[in-house]
Amino acid sequence: MLMLMLGLPDATRLASAAAPSTPALTEPQAIWRAASRLGYWPSEQQVAAIRAHPGGPRGWALDEVDRAFEASLQPARIPEQLSQVTAPLPEVFAEVRREREARLRADNAAAAGTTDTGRPQAVATPALQAPTAQPPSFVRTSAQQAAAWRMLSCSDPSVENPLLSRLTEFWFNHLNVFVGRATVRPFTGHYAVHAIRPNVLGRFEDLLLASARHPAMLFYLDQNQNVAEGTPGARGAVRGLNENYARELMELHTLGVDGGYTQQDVRELARVLTGWTVDPTAPSGFRFAPRLHDGGEKTVLGRRFGGPGSAQGEREGVEAIALLASRPATARRLALRLARFFVADEPPRALVDRLAAVYLAGNGDLRGVMRQLVASPEFWDPANELFKTPYDFACSALGASARTAAAGNAAAAPARPPAIGLALGFLAAAGQPVNGWQTPDGYGTDAATWLSPESLTRRADLAAALARGMDEPEQLLGFYDERTRERIRKVPTAARAALALAAPDFMRK
Amino acid sequence: MNLTDHPLVTDGHALDRRRLLGGLIAGAGLAAAAPRAFAQTAPALERGRLVVVFLRGAYDGLSALVPWSDPDYTRLRPTIAVATPDGTTATAIELDRRFALHPALAPLLPMWNDGSLAVVPAAGSPNRTRSHFEAQYHWETGLPGQSSGSPGWLNRLAAIDPARSGAPRLIGVGEANPHILSGPMRARLIPRGQAATRAGVIGNDGTRDALLDLYSGDDRLSRAFRQGVESRLMTSKELAAEMAAADNGAGSPAGLARDAQQLAALMRADATLRIGFLSAGGWDTHVNQGTATGLLATRLASLAAALVQLRSGFDRPGDLVLVFSEFGRTSAENGSRGTDHGRGNAMWMIGREVAGGRVHGHWEGLAPGNLNEGRDLPVLHDFRAVIAQPLARIFRLPENRLADLFPGAAWDASLDGLVRRS
Repeated sequence: MLMLMLGLPDATRLASAAAPSTPALTEPQAIWRAASRLGYWPSEQQVAAIRAHPGGPRGWALDEVDRAFEASLQPARIPEQLSQVTAPLPEVFAEVRREREARLRADNAAAAGTTDTGRPQAVATPALQAPTAQPPSFVRTSAQQAAAWRMLSCSDPSVENPLLSRLTEFWFNHLNVFVGRATVRPFTGHYAVHAIRPNVLGRFEDLLLASARHPAMLFYLDQNQNVAEGTPGARGAVRGLNENYARELMELHTLGVDGGYTQQDVRELARVLTGWTVDPTAPSGFRFAPRLHDGGEKTVLGRRFGGPGSAQGEREGVEAIALLASRPATARRLALRLARFFVADEPPRALVDRLAAVYLAGNGDLRGVMRQLVASPEFWDPANELFKTPYDFACSALGASARTAAAGNAAAAPARPPAIGLALGFLAAAGQPVNGWQTPDGYGTDAATWLSPESLTRRADLAAALARGMDEPEQLLGFYDERTRERIRKVPTAARAALALAAPDFMRK
Repeated sequence: MNLTDHPLVTDGHALDRRRLLGGLIAGAGLAAAAPRAFAQTAPALERGRLVVVFLRGAYDGLSALVPWSDPDYTRLRPTIAVATPDGTTATAIELDRRFALHPALAPLLPMWNDGSLAVVPAAGSPNRTRSHFEAQYHWETGLPGQSSGSPGWLNRLAAIDPARSGAPRLIGVGEANPHILSGPMRARLIPRGQAATRAGVIGNDGTRDALLDLYSGDDRLSRAFRQGVESRLMTSKELAAEMAAADNGAGSPAGLARDAQQLAALMRADATLRIGFLSAGGWDTHVNQGTATGLLATRLASLAAALVQLRSGFDRPGDLVLVFSEFGRTSAENGSRGTDHGRGNAMWMIGREVAGGRVHGHWEGLAPGNLNEGRDLPVLHDFRAVIAQPLARIFRLPENRLADLFPGAAWDASLDGLVRRS
C-alpha cells in the first residue's frame, strides 16, 4: 500500500478541474487538497478511495458530501471513555446543580470553621490544596471530554467521517460558544454533537434553531436572561431585555455587520426572543416561558411580530430566525465564510456569488451549497492555496502519526490520550484552544491570523512529540515536493517522521 | 540569512547571552546594529517606548472611573453602581469632586498621586458601530469606518518614525497575530505563559539544521520559519534570564500581569523593541457584572496588577502605556444587572510624560439630554486625537506624520494639557 504512493504519476493532470488557462493540480496535489480540506490529512484508506474513484478527486468529493450527510444522520460513535459528552441534558443540569450545592456546603463549612476558632483554618483553604487533591468534577471532566472528542473525531476516520468532522468544526466556530464561561462549560460537547453535528448538511434554519435552543448558546449569549421589560425578578428586583444574543444572531450568525439592520432591529429582535430560556428538566434543555415573553407588537427588518395577524409567542422567534436565515445578506455571509474556509483566504467573488445563489435557491440547504463548492473549478484551482490553522495542523499531525495498528479500530483509538493531550496543549499555546475562543465571532481561519514566525516553529515541537513510534513517513512523502523528499531522506531514519510532520508541505492544505 | 551558517547555540546554558544575541542579530542581518548604537547616545526622549493594552469586549468605564457625584449615576444603575466613596474598601476611591476609582483599581492610586496616571473619560471612535469586531478593527487600523485592507496603526507607526536610523520595532505578547501590529513591518509575536520560555526542538542543533534545510526557500512560509527560529531562540534565552531575575523567588504573576512582565523583560533585553502590545478579553459584561466585588471587579483587579507591572517595567522618560477598549457600555444597567454595548469610554495613559493625577477633556455628566441616543456616554474626543497627544511627544512626531498615521483625525487642542510640556 505504501509503495503504491511512490509511483504516482506527477504529470497526471485533472484537465477538467480548472479553467483551461491555468495549469491544473497534479493528481497527488488534488488528492492532498481533497483529503486535507474535506478532512484533515490523506489517510491511506482515503487516498485509495480517491484514486479508485471513476470520477477522480472531484467525483470522490461529491460522493464524500453525501457520505458525510449520511453519517450526520447517524449517532456519533463516541467511545465509552468520553461518554459524558453525550450525557442527557437533564443529567448534566442535575450534576451541575449537585456540584454547586456541594461547593456551597464546603464554603459554608469553611466559613463556620473560621468562626469557631476565630482564625482561618489552613486545611479549608482551597489555595493550599494541590490541584490533584481536587475531587473529580463532572463539569471539568465534561469539558475535557468535549475537547478530546473534537481531537479524536478529526483524527480518526473510523470514528467520524472526516468531512463531517470538518463541517462540525466550521459550524461550531460559526455559532461559537466558549468553554471558559462557567455556565457553558458542561454543555460544549453536547452542543457540538447534538446541536451542530446533525445539522451541518441540512437546512441552515434548522441548524440555527438547534443552536438557539441549546443551553450552551442560551447561556453563552445571555439569552436565558432576556426577558420582557418589567418582569419581576428575585427579591423585588425588576428584570428586562438583554440584547446580547439578538445582536450576535444578526451580526455574526446571519446577516453580517453590514447586513442592513439597525440598533432598533436589535432591540426589537431581543423583544421577539424574550422567554426563550433553559429548562433543566427537559430532554432538549429548552423551554419557552410565556410569563417572560414580551407580548407586545414588534417590527424586525420591516416584518411585524406579536401583533394581530402575525406570529405570537414562541412562533415569533421561530419565524424571526427563519426570516434571518432566508435573507440574501445571510446567504452572502455564509457563502463567503465557507469559501474562505474551504477555498482561499480571499475567495473569488464569482464563487461566493454562486454559492449564495445556490443557498437561496435551495432554501438554505447546506448540502447543495457544499456540493456546489466541491464541484467548483475554484476549489481545484492551484492558485487558491490555504495555510493550515493550528487546529488543522494538530488534527492532521495526530491522524498522520497514528500507528497503523490503531487505524480502522475505533476501540483502539482512545488509547492515544497522551497524543490527544499533547495536541490540546499545543493548541492552547498556539492561541487556538479547543472550544476556547471567548467571543462569538469564532476563530479566524486565514493565514493572516495564524502564520507568524515563532508560532510556526512551535509546530515542530508537536511534530517531534507525535512522531515517536510513528512508522516511516513514506506515504506522506509521496505527496511532497521533490526537494523536501530528498532533504528528509538525508536524515537518519528515526528522525524522518518528525521532519515529515514539520515540513512546509505539511503546513498547506 | 540562513542561521545554519551561524551555529550559535551549541549549548544554550554555557553560552554568553550577550554574545549570542549580538551574533544572532549581526549574523541574521536584522536592521538592528545601528539603532542599538544610536540608542546609547541619543537623548532619552528619542527612545520613547509605547505599550498598548487593548481591553477587548468593551470594558465598563463607568465602573472603573466612577462619576460618583453625578446623581444620574446611581439613578441609571440602581443595582450595579459602585458605591459612593466613604473611605472603605467596599466603595469607590475618590479622585476629585467628580470622579472616583473602582476599589479593585486601588493599586493604581499611587500612580494617580505621583502624577503618572491620567484619564480621558469620554473618548471613542467617530464611527457608530456597536459591533465589537468591527469597532476593534477600527481601533486597530486607526481608520474608523473602513472595514478592510489596512495595516495596524502600530505597524504604520513603526514605519514612519522620523528618527531615521532608530526605527522602533514591534512586539506583541499573547495573541497569535493581532491586527494592530500587522503590516509590512515585522513584529515579534510571543505566546502567553510558559510556552514562550522554551526553545523546544529548535534548541537542538541537528533538528534545527534539518528544519532550516526544509525551510531554506524564498517563499513566505520559509522566510517566516527562519525568522521564527531566530526570534524564538532570542525569546527563550531572554525570558529565561530576565524572568528568573524578575521572579526573585516571588513566583510568577498570572494572566495579563504575566504577559506584562514578559513584555517588559523582552523590551528591556532588546532596546530596538519600542512598541509593545498586550490584550485581555472578558470585558463584555452583559449579565451580573457586580459592583465592588464580582465579575467585573475581578477583571479590574487583574488589569490593575498588570498596570503596576507595566509602571515599573516602563519607567523611563518617553515611556508610555495606553489602555482602551473598542467602545463603552450603556450608561444604564440592562435587565440582567449588566450593561450592553455603548459608545464613549474612558481611555487611560501612564508615563512620566503624562500630566497625570488629573481627568482630561470634556465631561458633560449623565443627564438624559447629554447621552448618545439617550443611552450611552457620548464620544467627546476622537480616540486618535487622544493618542496623538503623547505620541507626538514620545516619538517626536511632527504634525504631517501624525496626519499620515491617522488620516482624517484632527488635532484636538482641548487635550493639549494631557502631556507635560517641560
